Amino acid sequence: MTTDRTDRHLVIGAGSSGLAAAKSLRERGFVVDVVEREPEVGGNWNFAAENSRVYASTHMISSKPFTQFPDFPMADADPDYLHHEQVLAYLQRYARHFGLYDVIEFRTQVDACRPLDTVVGPGRSGWEVELTGPDGTEVRHYASLVVANGHNWSPKVPQYPGQDTFTGEILHSAGYKSGDQLAGKRVVVVGAGNTGCDIVVEAAQRAVSAHHSTRRAYWYSPKYAMGRPSDQVSDLIFSLRLPLRATQAIFATTAKLVVGKYERFGLPTPDHRFLETHPIVNQQLLYYVGHGAIQPVADIDHFESDAVVFTDGTRVEADLVVFATGYLIRFPFLPDDALPGQPGRPELYRNVFSPDRDDLFVVGLIQPDSGQFCLVNWQAVMVAAFLELQRDDPGAARRYLDEARDKIHERAQGGVALIDSTRHYVEVEHADYIRVLQREIRSIEGRARRAVAV
Amino acid sequence: MTTPTLQETSLPKTAAASSRREQVLRRLDWTFPAQPVDRELIEVLPDDPDLAKPPLLFVHGAWHGAWCWQQHWMAAAAAQGWRTYAVSLRGHGGSSRPDRFELAGLRHYQHDVLQSITQLPSPPVLIGHSMGGAVVQGVLERYRSAPAGVLLASVPPRHGLGVVPSLLRHDPKMLAQALAGREVTPRTSTLYGPAMEEIEAQRHIERMGDEAWLATQQLVLPRRVPDVRAPLLVLGGELDRLVSPHAVVRTARTYGARARLFRGMGHQLMLEPDWKAVLDVTLSWLEDTVVR
Repeated sequence: MTTDRTDRHLVIGAGSSGLAAAKSLRERGFVVDVVEREPEVGGNWNFAAENSRVYASTHMISSKPFTQFPDFPMADADPDYLHHEQVLAYLQRYARHFGLYDVIEFRTQVDACRPLDTVVGPGRSGWEVELTGPDGTEVRHYASLVVANGHNWSPKVPQYPGQDTFTGEILHSAGYKSGDQLAGKRVVVVGAGNTGCDIVVEAAQRAVSAHHSTRRAYWYSPKYAMGRPSDQVSDLIFSLRLPLRATQAIFATTAKLVVGKYERFGLPTPDHRFLETHPIVNQQLLYYVGHGAIQPVADIDHFESDAVVFTDGTRVEADLVVFATGYLIRFPFLPDDALPGQPGRPELYRNVFSPDRDDLFVVGLIQPDSGQFCLVNWQAVMVAAFLELQRDDPGAARRYLDEARDKIHERAQGGVALIDSTRHYVEVEHADYIRVLQREIRSIEGRARRAVAV
Repeated sequence: MTTPTLQETSLPKTAAASSRREQVLRRLDWTFPAQPVDRELIEVLPDDPDLAKPPLLFVHGAWHGAWCWQQHWMAAAAAQGWRTYAVSLRGHGGSSRPDRFELAGLRHYQHDVLQSITQLPSPPVLIGHSMGGAVVQGVLERYRSAPAGVLLASVPPRHGLGVVPSLLRHDPKMLAQALAGREVTPRTSTLYGPAMEEIEAQRHIERMGDEAWLATQQLVLPRRVPDVRAPLLVLGGELDRLVSPHAVVRTARTYGARARLFRGMGHQLMLEPDWKAVLDVTLSWLEDTVVR
């Protein structure tokens, strides 16, 4: 039994991105269904969810003004950096205020999506979607898909020689929920992302010993500078719009003044300039290194049955190795060829549009050097504006995507040459990206106005 | 009491509103976010609310507080099934005064309104009076889900320079006090139309507090016109000395909306004896525009 809902759009996922997409589309008069696998909104921030990757101590690492939705600020009563429970409460308030609970089907999972031109006949746009909900499996047809399934849930697990013979426990940070898992153990944490740094700090507090293995040296930024959230201070420096080298020099000088030489802590000196890797915001890491509670070590060379050996020859006996090595981008419900590029590395225009399809949009697939929700809001507005253009003038929408194909490799990374790593595949510099989105929205709306005027 | 008849302007032929630039890069809000304050949010709710009607959020003007809506409008609108809320901006009415209040500006007031919006059950109609009208215009650019906006004797979008010659002629003392960021002692006829009782007017005038120096300057000096897309109703008083009928018509033109002027009324459309006529026009327009 197939239900025809080609007058509607389907948003997959009711996390922060899905909520923003549903709100923006409804704001412009589109009818939207949202499906969510869990019984509550929040996605990654819904601690109870199976695919949530937040742990008991997770707090935001960008401060409120950068993180909040621009039209729905976080409460004055909330702190500068919200705890994950406060973020969830915020997303729930957002969903309630904009009436999104009325359009979300909970406990409903998308099993597979097929383009309608392969099902019904060539030339048809839209999607056939197979869903499993509380009432069983059903098939529906939708005008378009807005994919908001998140990109921080499918663990990327490295393989080192001897890893299988290691008798201790190996855990990806995806399975890390609280410091209890570290108590009384000799712990090695691999990876210096924000999660890795959080976990190694908790290991310093709870574990018998804590070793921190990183492939390269990083810049560690404090959460506060001059008594204010440090991103608010650094954005002040960005807003001067100095040449990149000058900005980098200011940050490096500040780091020298505040932290001093990293070697002093037994840490290697960063091999790259400031801003060339995703920022790591952690005020406690260096503190515990300085107190001897965290031992920095190099990359892993191989495992032995009861120990880890690092590339510098250090051998550390360990009970638990935590891989905070990041996540893979995955769309398990989409056909492999739905998005251009290789699997896990989709090539999208402005991280949203597939130039080949006018009925498939991805929102939230960014890793900003700042807050996420604010940027996703503008992605969602852009998708809504595109759908308006498509409704009023399908040819103009088509032409917009054709032009996008030629510009697909443009990245909004603030002119910085980021270190080549899967970690930076969807990295964006927030001010650069927001300017780019504003330009796209204006371009799309300009085309729509011309379409209406004709 | 005679019911005032309306003067109406025709709709302008071209609506230019949509080509305006919306501000998305809000560096000032990011680097110097508004200081949190305790805000007064008054609510007057009907016993049996009509849920097809969106909530109404009232934003007062300079020197006033949420109390000016409480006087007549909120109860009267609630009696017709509308859920009504009124916020006191920082440093006004029952809201707390931030440090260095004199440097509070329109963006801080917009923050107060947005914070209040997040406490409402669904997207509200925004109704702003005078300076509150300028605040509402800014919020409507940022908060697109508002079903409509109502501007009462609102400070016009481009600048409020028109108030200077008018007050120089009529109440130069108040002009000087206002621009200096001092407490103002206006003449009754500066704020109120001739139908207003002197005693009642004085009672309201005594309740007025001071206004932030920066906000006052921003109201008068040229500003960027916000990109407002919500349907707007623009109302004014024929005898208003702060926001002239000409300024009201100009505001309406800017946004491609229709202006309506009330005969014999001054600046305080919600406090003067004919407040009900203004409210009736507002609510019947809202019935036609936003009630599904």
